[in-house]
Amino acid sequence: MARKTDRKLQDRAYIAMILTLVLGFGIGVFGMINTGLIHGEENRRKAESEQLSDTVVAARRGTIYDSNMNILAQSTDAWKIYVNPKEVPDEETAKKAASSLSSILDVDYDEVLTDCLNKKRSYIVLKSKVDFNTKQLIEKLRTENKGYNRFIGIEDDVTRFYPYDNFASTVIGFTGSSDKGMSGLESAYNTKLTGLSGRNITAQNAKQREISSDFATYYAAQEGTSLQLTIDNAIQYYLDSALSNAVETQNATYGYGIVMDVKTGAILAMSSQPDYDLNDPYKISKADVKEELDQIANDDERAKATTSALFAQWRNRTITDTYEPGSVFKCITAAAGIEEGVVTPDEMFVCGGSYKVKDITYHCSNRRGHGSEDFTTSLMNSCNPIYIQVAQRLGSQKFSNYFEAFGLGETTGVDLAAEAAPKPGVTYYTADRMGPVELASSSFGQSFQVTPIQVCTAINAIANDGKLVQPYIVARELDSEGNVVSVTKPTVKRQVVSKLTADTVTQMMVEVVRNGTAKNATVTGYKVAGKTGTSEKLTTATEDYIGSFCGFAPADDPEISVIIIIDDPKSGSFTGGKTAAPVAAEVIGNTLRYLNIEPEYGDDEKTQQDVKTPSVVGLSAAAAQESLSASGYTVRVIGDGEKVKAQYPEAGKLIPQNGVIVLYTKSAKASETVEVPNLTGLTVSQARSTARAAGLNVEIVGTSNDFTGASYTQSISKGTKVALGSTVTVAYMTTTTEMEIEDTGNAD
Amino acid sequence: MAKQKAKPKQKHGFLIRGGLDIPFFMIVIALITLGLIMMFSASSSYSYYYFNDSFYYFKRQLVFAILGLGVLAVMSSVDYHVLKKAAVPILLVSFALLVAVLLVPPPAGFEDFHRWISLGPVTFQPSEIAKFAIILYFAYHMDRHFKEINSNALSDASWAQGFNQGRGLIKIRAKTVHMMWYLLILAVTCALVYKENHVSGTLLIFALGIMMMFLAGFNYRWFVVAAVALVVLVIVVVKNPSILPEHAQPRILSWVDKDYDPLGVRWQTNQAIYAIGSGGFFGVGLGNSKMKQLYVSEPQNDFIFSIICEELGFVGALFIVILFALLVWRGFLIGIKAKDIFGSLLAMGIVFQVGLQAALNIGVVTDVLPNTGISLPFFSYGGTSLLMLIFEMGVVLSVSRTAKLKKI
Repeated sequence: MARKTDRKLQDRAYIAMILTLVLGFGIGVFGMINTGLIHGEENRRKAESEQLSDTVVAARRGTIYDSNMNILAQSTDAWKIYVNPKEVPDEETAKKAASSLSSILDVDYDEVLTDCLNKKRSYIVLKSKVDFNTKQLIEKLRTENKGYNRFIGIEDDVTRFYPYDNFASTVIGFTGSSDKGMSGLESAYNTKLTGLSGRNITAQNAKQREISSDFATYYAAQEGTSLQLTIDNAIQYYLDSALSNAVETQNATYGYGIVMDVKTGAILAMSSQPDYDLNDPYKISKADVKEELDQIANDDERAKATTSALFAQWRNRTITDTYEPGSVFKCITAAAGIEEGVVTPDEMFVCGGSYKVKDITYHCSNRRGHGSEDFTTSLMNSCNPIYIQVAQRLGSQKFSNYFEAFGLGETTGVDLAAEAAPKPGVTYYTADRMGPVELASSSFGQSFQVTPIQVCTAINAIANDGKLVQPYIVARELDSEGNVVSVTKPTVKRQVVSKLTADTVTQMMVEVVRNGTAKNATVTGYKVAGKTGTSEKLTTATEDYIGSFCGFAPADDPEISVIIIIDDPKSGSFTGGKTAAPVAAEVIGNTLRYLNIEPEYGDDEKTQQDVKTPSVVGLSAAAAQESLSASGYTVRVIGDGEKVKAQYPEAGKLIPQNGVIVLYTKSAKASETVEVPNLTGLTVSQARSTARAAGLNVEIVGTSNDFTGASYTQSISKGTKVALGSTVTVAYMTTTTEMEIEDTGNAD
Repeated sequence: MAKQKAKPKQKHGFLIRGGLDIPFFMIVIALITLGLIMMFSASSSYSYYYFNDSFYYFKRQLVFAILGLGVLAVMSSVDYHVLKKAAVPILLVSFALLVAVLLVPPPAGFEDFHRWISLGPVTFQPSEIAKFAIILYFAYHMDRHFKEINSNALSDASWAQGFNQGRGLIKIRAKTVHMMWYLLILAVTCALVYKENHVSGTLLIFALGIMMMFLAGFNYRWFVVAAVALVVLVIVVVKNPSILPEHAQPRILSWVDKDYDPLGVRWQTNQAIYAIGSGGFFGVGLGNSKMKQLYVSEPQNDFIFSIICEELGFVGALFIVILFALLVWRGFLIGIKAKDIFGSLLAMGIVFQVGLQAALNIGVVTDVLPNTGISLPFFSYGGTSLLMLIFEMGVVLSVSRTAKLKKI
């Protein structure tokens, strides 16, 4: 019996053992094979996808330089501060941390606290683009408080910095939150500037901490291309300040302008005023606009209005806005007429004050008529009836051909974003739709819309011996090490008119500046060719005008073309001759002197002639003083050394006759500065003596032979500190009545 | 009948003679050593992150393992028959603890789970003791009534005499009375463990009790009935998980439907199978697991096997499975060759419990079985349970000393 039961127990034991081994461990081994081998690949991939953190390494955005390699826009290291709310231990800690964080980062305490307590998320950015010092404070906070490093994190970031704030802001543009160009060059060249972002693949634990792993792979980012612009910081400064000054003194809505290199089409300066601070683009820069916005009670409406105001201030109006060019266009009509041989500069016309085409009577700006005048004089007088006749001689087809040949039917192709594209039949009349009436109004620059850069480029063709060029703003592209990747080659689009025609029209335009409506664009020492225009804005109900000037200098061998547009001046004068021409004179004068273009003086200009400063460095102080005084200069000696170690202005710089020269005998650097005195509202001699007393030179621009009036603006504003011996430009305006009568607004 | 011819009582000293079974001993030492190494590897990141000390868990486990070796040395030398005297007291203590655990407040974060009792720094699960109590008491009782269980003898219980002495059709057999008695003890124990919200523990103890009854020799038909009932029960539960305690329901649902993952109940299982997949055939190497970097939650506990698979690969994990299988095989062999029924049932019950627990744990980790809180013997962190386990191994070794095994 015992044996039987023993055997029974033994049998059952085997059954139990086999059952356990086969069923029990069979299940386990099956599971291991199933999950580890059959679905192993799939599970491993899933594991990797949660272990590997694949972060984008931002490529550093390229730098933007001006033509002299001054940095206009640069990306610098910055940091991002974030919290991981899942790791915040308790509310107490959250409150304490939030108060420290909010004070360091200058963000709202309640917001930070809400973020810290948002247990559903593990990554909330508190602030990005934080600078080095702030980052250091956060690091200190993390080390000083135990456990903070679990939930407060720091990540790399970049920020875009614009060293000159407002300088050329509408041209350069700015970047948005993700380092993407939002406007201007930053937008137009976004892809090139951005470069190729890299990747950093690392293994991480479930709390998003990095752990070491064989998978760690780093693909370096490829830095963005840097741009060297054709913009010259000095010329841009002249244009920016002249325009912003004009907008202020003339109480205009906007002022915009371009300075272009005649032969290449390189844009030396481009400005749209008022502009904005590139480092703070979302701030409304105009105080009165800001005030208006603040008064809107409705939140939605205010937000909408703010957005449109921001877009308005970011606009580069020289390429995005269109206007009727008005009388400036008469140069084009004249060029077409002369090229086609339908008119010569000497041909005599009679202006009766009006001209009838079909049933429409076109008035001249002078309703009494200019009487008998040659074709050149008609340009000086900006006499509408004569240009209607020239256009009629050309006929619609030929007129349209020249209109398009001068590039007014196409975009200029400048390498900037958002250039307004002309639409045939909408923004201008095409030949097949141009009847006598349309032809007549088009002949003197009305009934079509163009952009300032189109007009400037067209007039530039006259300056450039009849060759139309494609304007451009990026001179060279550089890689991260500064090697030149590509150089922009100037493009001549076509020969629009012959050199002879271009020269003829240039001579006519010189006369317009010398004695015509553009008299205020006169610059002592330089022959300026130009034409003014005044047009009524058709888009507004009130009588709003646009005064413009477009021209080039020096007329005999043109270097620069300039267009200046004053949009809706409200200080009384609105004609291009009174609003835009003086600004152009200031810009042209400053630019040509800066470019060291040799001035040439007519007989009547001899007294105002600029001279080159002689070099006296190295001479004994006494001898230098004696020789300079003998030549009529006013000399100031700084220091009691024996020899002249430095002089300001340096040798070879152009300064007005009898100007001030400062000699340094102690230091080898021109170090003395002086505050610029008020030089407006003064006669020429008053301005000169005030400046001399302060140790400054004055450059007089404006009507060359009429200095009895009072100066209306100065290039460097009162109170600015400048180097002793610097030159301040003071502008004068013609006060005598001339042929220009401002009654119709159709012409100057 | 049996009472009249009382067997001459065998004399037992406190210590036992005879050499212990070297293979079983080696397997146990191998499992303890491997368990420690893998527990250290699996827990290192987790304990570094939470305690700033990679050795936090390892040090604690090591203390208990060393203590355990002492217990093993002592228990394997003690005559296992002394446990007979302890069988009833231990069962009573087990009941008392199972009741007590329902009364003490559970630890923070586990408000619904009354599984642990803390005595100072030591925490233990009464269900662990209950398992051993069932094995010991059943072995003790079955040893005493082995003949009755394996015969058709009528019961001599006083309440049964009315049936048995008359000429009535109903006779109460002794084995029926015993079966009822075992089922009652089992039912009470399981009910108490179930009240802890411990479904897996309940199932384990139930399976253990039934297995002991099977080994003791009750008729096959009962077990066929029980097996059928079990299959039906599983089907019912899988079809209607709502009859389970609330915390167990989503585990069943997410086991049936692998994409069902409300509140991340599949998180644990998913991390485990990702780890196993990462290991592949040969593993990523000891210490190189990435899933233990806080992905597998508490990698030192129930899901340690996934880290083993990741680091040692299919090959290494299979080696560990084979070690467990060898433990079961050798344990059963010791049981079969044991000198008496008590030792036989004791050894087999213990190794069956360890084997079943290991098998279920591996089934859970590899997503073949629904997620239940079952730890892997020798590997999962837990000092008291390791100590208990090693003590039980000592018991088996004690049995092996007098077993008629070919000593190697």
